Amino acid sequence: MRRRAIVAILAAAAAAVPVLAQTKAPAQAPATPAARPSLTGSWEGYPVRGDGFGSGVQPKVKVTPPKAVPEAPLKQPYLDQWREVQKQNQELVRKGLPPPSSGMACMPEGVPGMMGATFPLEILETPGRVTIIEEAFNQVRRIYLNAPPVNPDDADPRYAGHSTGRWQGSTLVVTTVGIKESVRFRGVPHSMNMRVTERLHMVSPEVLENQVTIEDPEYLTGPWTWSWMYKRWPGYKIEEYVCDDNRYFEDPALKYQRLKVN
Amino acid sequence: MRHRGPRLRLLATVIAFSLLATARAGAHHSFAPYEPTTQVKLTGVVSQYRWGNPHVYFEIDAQDASSGQMRHWLIECASTSILNRAGWKFNMLKPGDTVTVIASPLRNGDPAALLKQLTLADGRKFTNGAAAGKATIE
Repeated sequence: MRRRAIVAILAAAAAAVPVLAQTKAPAQAPATPAARPSLTGSWEGYPVRGDGFGSGVQPKVKVTPPKAVPEAPLKQPYLDQWREVQKQNQELVRKGLPPPSSGMACMPEGVPGMMGATFPLEILETPGRVTIIEEAFNQVRRIYLNAPPVNPDDADPRYAGHSTGRWQGSTLVVTTVGIKESVRFRGVPHSMNMRVTERLHMVSPEVLENQVTIEDPEYLTGPWTWSWMYKRWPGYKIEEYVCDDNRYFEDPALKYQRLKVN
Repeated sequence: MRHRGPRLRLLATVIAFSLLATARAGAHHSFAPYEPTTQVKLTGVVSQYRWGNPHVYFEIDAQDASSGQMRHWLIECASTSILNRAGWKFNMLKPGDTVTVIASPLRNGDPAALLKQLTLADGRKFTNGAAAGKATIE
């Protein structure tokens, strides 16, 4: 299936070469905003959920939902360590003693976690910029378009890192570096050399796909890739989410999440 | 995979869905401290209603069904935006209101519970959002 797609792409590219040579058109003419749908607006995670988590309204054109995020291709001994922690955590959850998490402490998810859209997203296209806001924790990421790559020496560690983007046809390609080492998506460790590449494109009139690729030569044996999808949510106004009443804390002796009852 | 019986397939589906639920809904803090299946029904008087994040809380004084003792309960709800989307309003509860809740109590016996369903004095019923789960008792 994939091989057939690659062959088709190569064939199309080969067919296009003489045409490009004759007309001297740029190989990747940037799509103007008028030539592609705007991403500006509110989005909910797809598949759609209801009961407070989404609109519950299915898209008019059915789209096959993305597969689950696969296990990270961690190098050893990190893979065995990660699996052991997952096993311990599942056992603690089963006992009702969930391990402390960054969410328990009201810390934002950062990149890429916030793009999982547990809560709705808002995307704003403005000249030279794409801004993405995740409702939970008021998380914001600013993607600077056609900007030079961020020098690692200038990328001070952040939750959302430092993002640059460019349009390749109708696909927005976003590269993010400078993500804090403590910001661990699914508990997976990473170095300051981690690079997150996201390719966002509409797969139907209402559904946006985000193909995520994580590279980190220090921790991963190869790219870690998956897709997330979002459905347009016309008219939804992103709400405020300031974590000012957190009643969960880490039990000082037993190191698990506890609710402050009185 | 090929020779899985229907029971195993059901178990695999249940595990897959619970992992999905954990991944997408449990990002903020875990509901694992609450009883996973046991639910209680409490009717009491609201003493406090705190509309905030990460979660909304209210407190009620309710009579214990078995002992008849009055107990002061902390009821955990979802985030403000989830509740708004589920039809709640920030001002729909006030101290002195009598409400009925169906909720899962903490496993450690402390008087706090995760809300499943709220019934106001006027009879209107509200869920606590998809992540908190549905009421399984009436």
